[in-house]
Amino acid sequence: MANRSPKLSRLAPTERAQALISYADGKLVNSERVLARFQTDLNADLNFHQGMIVLTSQRLMHVESTKGGAVQMKAWPIAEIDDLVLEEFGATATIHLMQGSASSYQWRTTGGRVREADTLLSKFKAQRKVVLSITPFDPPTKLDESEVDGAEKEVVLPPRQAMVRLWKFVKPWRKQMAIATLLTLASTGASMIWPGLTMPLVDKVLIPLHEGKPNVNPHLVYYYIAALAGAAILAWALNWAKTYILARVSERVASQLRRQTFNHIQELSLTYFNKKRTGDLISRISSDTDEICYFISVNLIGFADDVLMIVFTAAILFTIDPIMAICALAPLPIVAWLVQRVRELLRGGFAAGSRAWSQMTSVLADTIPGVRVVKAFAQERREVERFRAADQQVVDANDRVNKTWSFFEPMIVLLSDTGLLVVWGIGAWSVAHHQITVGILTGFIAYIGRFYGRLDSMSRMLAAVQRAAASAHRVFDVLDVKPDMPNTMSTKHIGRLQGEIEFRDVKFRYGARQIMRGVSLKIAPGEMIGLVGPSGAGKTTLVNLACRFFEVSEGAILVDGIDLRELNVEDYRKNLGLVLQEPYLFYGTILENIAYGKQDATRAEVIAAARAARAHEFIMRLQDGYDSMVGERGQQLSGGERQRISIARALLINPAILILDEATSSVDTETEREIQAALENLITGRTTIAIAHRLGTLRRANRLVVMDDGRISEIGSHEELLKSSGTYSRLHQAMMEVTNG
Amino acid sequence: MSEVATNFTLEMDNECNLTLIDAAGVRHEKARPVRLFPLTDPSAWISIVNAQGQELACVKQIDTLPDALREMLLKALANRDFVPVIRSIKSVTRAPTGHAWTVVTDRGETIFQTESDESIQQLGGSRLVVIDARNTRYLIPDVNALDAKSRQRLERYY
Repeated sequence: MANRSPKLSRLAPTERAQALISYADGKLVNSERVLARFQTDLNADLNFHQGMIVLTSQRLMHVESTKGGAVQMKAWPIAEIDDLVLEEFGATATIHLMQGSASSYQWRTTGGRVREADTLLSKFKAQRKVVLSITPFDPPTKLDESEVDGAEKEVVLPPRQAMVRLWKFVKPWRKQMAIATLLTLASTGASMIWPGLTMPLVDKVLIPLHEGKPNVNPHLVYYYIAALAGAAILAWALNWAKTYILARVSERVASQLRRQTFNHIQELSLTYFNKKRTGDLISRISSDTDEICYFISVNLIGFADDVLMIVFTAAILFTIDPIMAICALAPLPIVAWLVQRVRELLRGGFAAGSRAWSQMTSVLADTIPGVRVVKAFAQERREVERFRAADQQVVDANDRVNKTWSFFEPMIVLLSDTGLLVVWGIGAWSVAHHQITVGILTGFIAYIGRFYGRLDSMSRMLAAVQRAAASAHRVFDVLDVKPDMPNTMSTKHIGRLQGEIEFRDVKFRYGARQIMRGVSLKIAPGEMIGLVGPSGAGKTTLVNLACRFFEVSEGAILVDGIDLRELNVEDYRKNLGLVLQEPYLFYGTILENIAYGKQDATRAEVIAAARAARAHEFIMRLQDGYDSMVGERGQQLSGGERQRISIARALLINPAILILDEATSSVDTETEREIQAALENLITGRTTIAIAHRLGTLRRANRLVVMDDGRISEIGSHEELLKSSGTYSRLHQAMMEVTNG
Repeated sequence: MSEVATNFTLEMDNECNLTLIDAAGVRHEKARPVRLFPLTDPSAWISIVNAQGQELACVKQIDTLPDALREMLLKALANRDFVPVIRSIKSVTRAPTGHAWTVVTDRGETIFQTESDESIQQLGGSRLVVIDARNTRYLIPDVNALDAKSRQRLERYY
C-alpha cells in the first residue's frame, strides 16, 4: 500500500528518520499507541537505506522510502505475527517476521543496533501476549510508554546551536547581564566623549592660540581638560563595575555547567564509563567549562558593545563629513569578507585543539595512575614519547589556528591603517582647501582610530567565540547522553529487603557480543552462593546485572519478587554490599572511608564495623588511628588491609544482599585467612553471591553455581559437584595440581 | 564489641609503665593507651592494648573514668601522642625542598619544614593537620580561628 508523501531523498538522515516517524504517526488509527520504534538502516542488498519499524498497540508497521522518493508503508496486525526473530551475523543482523514457521518478511540492520532490536523484540512479545489475552490489563505497558517518550526525545532533539543552549545557563543571571550591558554601553558612551571634545579644543582654543588671536578665553583649556578627565574617570568607574559583575556571573555560569555535567555523569551507567576515557571527561568538565567562563566574562558583552560602537562611530563619522566617512570605511567590506572566511577555519581549528587537549589529558590520566606498571616494564621512555606525541598534537592543532590567526590580525591592522591613510590624505587636502577645520580632522582621526580599534578587537573576539563554541559543544555532548537506565519511570521505593534474588532466563548483550545466554537461578534469603567457572564465563557480568550496573537485555531479575527495573536504584543499592577484588579507597581518613556508605554513622558504629572486619587492630597501630589519611596520596596500606577496610565499609551499611567479587584473590594465604574470618562476620544472615577462583574460599557456600560461556552448567554442593565430574571437578583438579605441584 | 572490656583498673610504675588488670584479675604488663582519633577527637575513644598490640580495653569517654585512672591514662598518653596545636603562624617561606614554617604552638614557638602541598591535610571542615618532614603532626583545629595574618600566610600554600 504505497502512499504519496514528501520527497525524502533530499533530506538529511535525521530529518528523514523524523519524516518517517511523523508519516507513520499519521497512519495511526484511533486508540492505537506507539510502543516502540526501531530504525532499520540496510536494505536486502545490504546498502544503506533508512526505514522505520513501528510497534503500536495493535500493529507492526514498517515505513521506508521508495526509489521514487515516496514513502511506502507495510503493516501487519500483531495477532497475525507469530514471532519476531533476530538473526545475528556480527556486523549485520536480520529481523525475521515469522508467520507460522516461515519467515515471511525480513529487515536488515547494522550490528550496532542489535540492542535496540532486542528491546523491540521483547516489547513485541509482551504486546503480543496482551493482544492475544483477553484481559487488557498489563502493568508493563505503562512502563513501556514512558520509555517510548525517552526514545522519542533522542530522535526528536534538534541539533541546537551550542551557543544558543549556553544561554539557558546564563539566563538565571539575566538581570546582572542586563546591568552589565547597560554599564558597558554607558562606559562606551563616556569614551565617545573624548574625540568629540578634542574637536572644539583644537578649533576654539589651540589653533586661535597658535595663531596669536587676542580674544581667546584661556579658561576654556581648563574647562575642556577637566571635562576630558571627567569622561575618563566615568568610563573607568563604569568599566570597573561591568568587569566585576561579568566576572562574577561568568564564574557562576561555568560552575553551574561543571556541576551539572558532573551530576549528569554520575547518573550514567557503568557502560558509559567503560567506553569513555577518564582524561577526556576530566578535560571536558575542567578546561572546556573554563573556556566558556572566559568567553562570558570577557567577550560576550564586549562583542555586542563593539557592534554598537562601530555603528555609532560610523554614524558620527557620517554626520561630521559624509564623503570622508565613505572613504574611511572603504576597507570595511574586505574585512567582513575576511572574517567570514576565517571563522570557518578557526572553528575547526579550535575543535581540533580541544580534542588534542583531551587526548593529552587522557595520556596523563592513563600514565600517572599506572606508573607502577610503567616503571616495572621500564617503559618510561615510551610514555615520554606517548606524551610528546599527544602534546605535539596540541601544538600542531594550535599552530594551524595560529597560522590563520597571525595572518588575519595584521591584515586587519593593515586595512585599518589604509583607511586612516586615506582619511589623512583627503583630510589634508580638505584642510588646505579650507573645506574642514583642523579640529574636525583631529576629531575624525580620533573617531576612525576608535572605529578600527573596535573592529580589531571584534576580530580578535572571533577567535574567542569560536573557541567557546567548540568547548560548549563538547560539554553539551556529555550533557546530551541519556542515562540508559532511566530511574524516573514508575520506580518503587523500598526499605530493607529480605534478600531473595531470582534470575529469570537472563540474557545480556554487550555491544554486539552475547555474554549472558539465559541464566535462571533462585537464591533464597540468607543463602550463600558460590559462583565459579573459567574466566570469561560471565560471573562478573552476572553480579553486575544483579547490582543493576547493567540492564538485562532479556529476561528479568527479581528481588523479593519485584522486578529490579521497577525498583528505585538508590533504595536498592542501599541494600547492597559490595566487596571487590581491588578495594577502592577514596582520599580521606579511614573513618570517612569506612563510613562511605553511611555518612551519619557514629564513631561507635564505625569502630564496631572495623572490629568485625578485623581491621581495628591494624588501624590502631597507625600513627593517626582512624584519622589516618588513605587513598590516592595517603598512607600506604597493604592489599589485605585495604580489603578489610572495604569489608568494614560493606558491613557498616548492614546490607541484605552481599556481593563478593574475588574478594580474597589478590592477597596471600595468611591475609586471606584474616579476611576470611572478617567475611564470616559479614556473610552471616545475608544473601551472598561470592565469586572466587580459590575454591576453598567458598567452603561456607550453600550451593556452588558453575558457569560456563554465559550459562549455568552445574549447581550443587562441593561433594556433589566433585562426584558428577563436570566443569567443577576439572577446575578443582587443576587447582589441586597448582597448589600441590 | 562485647569482647572489649570496659571494667578494669590500671597501675603505673615510676617509669610510667602501665599495667592493666582486667575484670578477671589478669595482669597485663606494658599496656599502652592508643588514641583512636588523635586528630579529630583526642579526648574520646582511647583504646588500651597489650605489648603485642591486642586490644584489652576501650574507653569511650575519658571523663567517665575515675580520677586516678584518668590521670594515669593521660600521663601515659602525653608521652606517646605529641600533637602541638598551632596558635599562630609567624612565617612560611620557600625552602630548598618544600617550605619552612615558624609557628607558635600550645607548646611554644618552633620551626619545622614540610615537604609538599600534601603535607597539609584537611580533616573535615576547617580542621587542618600539618605533617612536617620528621613526621610530627601539627594541628590547626579551626583555620578560621587563626588571626588574619596567619591565615593569609597559610592561604598561599594551602
